[in-house]
Amino acid sequence: MPTALHVPRINNNDDEVKLVSLKVAVGDVVRAGQVVAEVETDKAVIEVEASEPGHVLALRGAEGETVRVGAVLIWLGAQADETAPDDHPTSDTPATGTAAPTAKARDLLRRYGLQAGDVRASGARLSAQDVQQHADRLGLQPTDKEHAVAQPTAAPMPIEPGQLQPLRSDQRGMLATVLWHRDVAVPGYIELPYDPAPWDAYARDFGARHQLLLNPLLPLMAQALAALAASKPEINATLAGEQRHVYRQVNLGFTVQAGDVLYLAVLRDAGALDELSFSTRLIDLQRRAAGHQLSAAETQGSTIGFSSMARWKIGRHIPVLAPHTALMVAHATDPDGRAVLGATYDHRVLHGAAVAQVLRHISQPRPAR
Amino acid sequence: MPTQDEIEQAVRQKVIELANAMGTDASELTVDEIIPASGFIDSAALLELIAWFEACYGLAIPPADLTIDNLGSAALMAAYALRAPRRA
Repeated sequence: MPTALHVPRINNNDDEVKLVSLKVAVGDVVRAGQVVAEVETDKAVIEVEASEPGHVLALRGAEGETVRVGAVLIWLGAQADETAPDDHPTSDTPATGTAAPTAKARDLLRRYGLQAGDVRASGARLSAQDVQQHADRLGLQPTDKEHAVAQPTAAPMPIEPGQLQPLRSDQRGMLATVLWHRDVAVPGYIELPYDPAPWDAYARDFGARHQLLLNPLLPLMAQALAALAASKPEINATLAGEQRHVYRQVNLGFTVQAGDVLYLAVLRDAGALDELSFSTRLIDLQRRAAGHQLSAAETQGSTIGFSSMARWKIGRHIPVLAPHTALMVAHATDPDGRAVLGATYDHRVLHGAAVAQVLRHISQPRPAR
Repeated sequence: MPTQDEIEQAVRQKVIELANAMGTDASELTVDEIIPASGFIDSAALLELIAWFEACYGLAIPPADLTIDNLGSAALMAAYALRAPRRA
């Protein structure tokens, strides 16, 4: 049964990426983890890896082309003679060779939920005017909410004198996040008091068995969340317009405070990792975050989140949702040794009972994973 | 490259500094005491310690080396720094 490798999402804003390079050809044999392609936006280049070993059956894009995030890029098969399924081409220039859309046209296509191939171009490029006329003719309504940049509600300027300072890029990112949380998501919060002793014992034992320097407690709890999300995709989803967008893989966003900067370090395809691999990779991300060395791709694309403020010994915190996620679990312990697992969730996507079940599930280690 | 002693003391000082920032006094820490087990600093501060240690001694510690045997105490860390290949 062939396996598809999909075009990955680099960041929340770009629904298309450029296929910079293809490193394999039809007929090649690849190993799991082998880099098979590279895709880029103007923000980052990321490598696409083979999720498993196999033979390359078909390529659904060419170097230099623009491809849609989520579309199939490469088909792999266990045998070289398997047939790749037919699927929609990833390129947004259809086989008839009609015009590539301008940037403004691409924006309008997204807002109207159209593909470039749906609209006839009047000239060499598909223009915004072409798309607008097509949409008007069909009486389409733009779905602004999920793609428009959330504007801060107009606030009066401060009266007391002060010094104006431009925001750093991480501060701008945080602003965009909190505005998405407030303006797009409908956030709710619930919490569950729990006995931390089983997890503490489990983590200690795991750490001793693997001789780990760093306490694996939080990585193990985050892994439990990622594994749960892989088996219950409804919690690994968001809302896109009027439809639920169920993510194909679990990208776990984990908060790391590095000095002044709060990062959300993203561990991609976290649902597929076992406890040790997950912990090792998350700790590696945390280290690089601590050194301000995360790549752009490692701070984008989370589908579900885990936040801990345990180090500050505060009793609870109500985290903000990362854009396009529906669940952020909040871990804290208070000075009296009471432990609380909280979660902020997007009410448009999840209801309280479902979130309560998630918290109950991850409140204890479940070694049968 | 500094000596075993010098590195041990530098690591001790860094742990004391990190512990101070969280309101803990780590001046009793010995060079052979296992740092994560000592309770003086937490995981997050330990990460900062490792990041500082790499930067200070020009090391790039691979994930597999993050073990108690290699880096558990100031003395072990110093020994690791002295035998690990230097990277810029």
